Amino acid sequence: MIWVWIALAPILGGLVYGGERVLRARMQRRQGPPLLQPFYDMFKLLDKRTLIVHAPHALLAVAHFFVLWFTIAAIFLGWNLLYIIFLHLFAQLLLIVAGYSVRSVYSHIGSNRELLMVVAYEPILILVAVGLYLVSGSFEISQILKMDGYLTQLPLLFAALLMIVPIKVKKSPFDVGEAHQEIVGGVEIEYSGVFYEFLYMSRFLEYIFIYSFVYLFGGESHWLGAVLVAGVFLLVNLVDNATARVRPAQMVKIIYTVAMALAVLNLAGVLL
Amino acid sequence: MELVLTLILLPIIASILLLMLPNQRAQYVVITAVLFLLGLGAFSLYTSMGVLTFQLSHTMNGAIVAADVVLLLFFLYQGRVFNHPKVMALAALQLVLYGYIESIVPEAGSAEIVVDSLSKFMFLIINGVGGIIVLYSVKYMEDEPTSPLKKRLFVGGLLVFLSVMNLIVIANSILLFFFLFEMTTLASYLLIAFRDDEVSRANALKALWMNQIGGVVILLGALVAIIGFKSVMFDTLLQSSGGMILLAVALLSMAALVKGASIPFEGWLLGAMVAPTPVSAMLHSATMVKIAPYLILKLAPALAVSMVGGIISIIGALVFVAASYLALSRSVLKEILGYSTVALLGLMMALAAIGTQESINLALALMLFHALSKALLFLSAGVLERLHHAKDIEDMKGMVTRSPKTVGFILFGFVSLTLPPFGLFMGKLFAITSIASLLKEHPSNLIILLSLIVGSALMVLLYFKVASALLSAPCDVEVSEAIAIPSGFNVPLVLLSFFIVIGALGYIMMQQNIFVVLLALPMLFVFALPSLIRRMDRYDRSQPYHCGEKEPFDAALVYFESSVKVQRILYWGFGSLFVAVAIVGALS
Repeated sequence: MIWVWIALAPILGGLVYGGERVLRARMQRRQGPPLLQPFYDMFKLLDKRTLIVHAPHALLAVAHFFVLWFTIAAIFLGWNLLYIIFLHLFAQLLLIVAGYSVRSVYSHIGSNRELLMVVAYEPILILVAVGLYLVSGSFEISQILKMDGYLTQLPLLFAALLMIVPIKVKKSPFDVGEAHQEIVGGVEIEYSGVFYEFLYMSRFLEYIFIYSFVYLFGGESHWLGAVLVAGVFLLVNLVDNATARVRPAQMVKIIYTVAMALAVLNLAGVLL
Repeated sequence: MELVLTLILLPIIASILLLMLPNQRAQYVVITAVLFLLGLGAFSLYTSMGVLTFQLSHTMNGAIVAADVVLLLFFLYQGRVFNHPKVMALAALQLVLYGYIESIVPEAGSAEIVVDSLSKFMFLIINGVGGIIVLYSVKYMEDEPTSPLKKRLFVGGLLVFLSVMNLIVIANSILLFFFLFEMTTLASYLLIAFRDDEVSRANALKALWMNQIGGVVILLGALVAIIGFKSVMFDTLLQSSGGMILLAVALLSMAALVKGASIPFEGWLLGAMVAPTPVSAMLHSATMVKIAPYLILKLAPALAVSMVGGIISIIGALVFVAASYLALSRSVLKEILGYSTVALLGLMMALAAIGTQESINLALALMLFHALSKALLFLSAGVLERLHHAKDIEDMKGMVTRSPKTVGFILFGFVSLTLPPFGLFMGKLFAITSIASLLKEHPSNLIILLSLIVGSALMVLLYFKVASALLSAPCDVEVSEAIAIPSGFNVPLVLLSFFIVIGALGYIMMQQNIFVVLLALPMLFVFALPSLIRRMDRYDRSQPYHCGEKEPFDAALVYFESSVKVQRILYWGFGSLFVAVAIVGALS
């Protein structure tokens, strides 16, 4: 059963992504695309003539997607949270190297920004893992989901996690990596056709990746986890509609001061 | 014992042979044979059981005292020649202290030389990685603008240095350790000054005076040991308890902080980067600076669960994050590598000072994998310097088209430092788990954990920033041909990469955890991908999109320059922490 879920993960993420576009359209009183738009896009992209800059660049997108998928599989199988975080880092670095490997200003700046994003959210993700470990006594997701009381003991850590969700799903105020109006999509710019489809599907997987962390705070109770995910989903889109993009350096600064302080305060509180 | 003697004498014999052999091919034969024998010897010692001890005779001890005095007088003389008051003052201080200690030193109790499992592990690093670097240095020195004799002296000097290193890790007497510590300082000094220009000389003198602080604190530690415990042996000192043991241990650990170039002493290691690259690789990254974590590991039984151990581990962890941060403002590749060496040495010392069995094993693993990866990176940097005359990463833009293979080696080095399943990454990963498990008993470990996490993230930024420069395509106007790497460079690099892979495999297998093995799958997949998807030529090529503009392409790199105020706070902070080690040692 679990393998079916793993196999369906990109589709699941695609639905979340489609749902998000509907939600945002409703928030802006627009009609918006249908729920299945990501899949229509897929057929459209597969039908297009694929142009590539050079082979390693294209292949790195494929590698990025599969390593990310592997990471999602590890989440569903209940592995060690730290392994999952670093597998995700690996996937991210593949994309960054891909961005650097082409002679395009936008792609290069996009990679620079992706790198800064990694530097910003990586420590918080690990601190979240450590916080969950301190309460549950294990880094294994399967063990973490057998306990509860994370939200009452780690409220500030949860707030810190909330702050990095927009970075991962590329929403304002932290959508610096993509920033369509300034750097025309950043790393994504040089991809087309089937290879862009891989990158597009990676985005779906990113949604599953970051919202799994939110879900973990529900612990044993599935409905609490689901409510948390739904709540954060709403909140992130609300904030996205209401804020402007900050500069990359500001993003790092905000995360390193506010989110880091929240996380450390919470951990110190649990320990003392 | 014969094997240990081989490890010590063989490099010296080989260096004498080298001096008499002007033919490069003959030199290669000698060095390859030595590398093979040393590696074999170190490996068979590593797999052997038991502790070897050896008592030095009276005359040998006398000779060491004489050599020590000569060495200190030489430092004094150098201080006078180059008119450097700090060098002179510290050398004079050491002479006085050393003279006083020799006058009250008790008759030897236990053996001066002890080969335990830690020493055997160090042999593996010193002879394996060190040997490969010597092999590389022959080709490197070929293009050095200096006399042939001096070139051979250089390679021979590196070999002699190997035997000094082999000796320092088996010294049980603090005074013998002091002598060898000063010998490594001498090696640093002479090799940094090798090019003998103004900058080299200034930096060499800087290394000399800073490292002599280490010598002073070792002597003070020995003095405390003699007064408190009537012994100058590490093992006797570590077995005793109470009294002033923590003061002695604290003073000795301070020497480790100096040798490991922890902030505020990192200046000497960065200055050392003006030396020829094999020196940077050998002394200032792969072997000599490893004395720092080695010494902390040796003292770990006394440091564990003491205030002194606590403060050392906090200093180490803070150095890890501070050095990674400071490195972000640099643009010379070797300086960046130097800073990251300082940072990782801090991490190793932090883990060693925590002193649980698990963290000690982690520190050992980090030492080995760091030596391999950093040697690979430094030697690759040397190739770029020799073949393309590029030292600054700003000049290395688009290096991937000019020297694809070297860039491949450098990227592999970065990947081996940051990603699963390679040893150094695994070490950091297990360190997070290990420190997290200690958090509940010692909440102060939160500082170490936080530094580890943030420092690792900053290092990812640091390494991949360099990667971005290497990968970014060069300007259209300049078209330059790719230069192939000569085999004199290629063979050592391939050997190091091979050992990194083998080491990672071995380390993964040692964990006996199926999930850890599975962590290697994505890396295998990525390396196999080009052969899985063969027919990439069926896709049409296009030019990158430039928004219709026609600008010369120049990629920007990420820099973070800390303000002068922040730097001053950092130096004063670390300076006072360094002094605090001695104060805490004296009080507890």
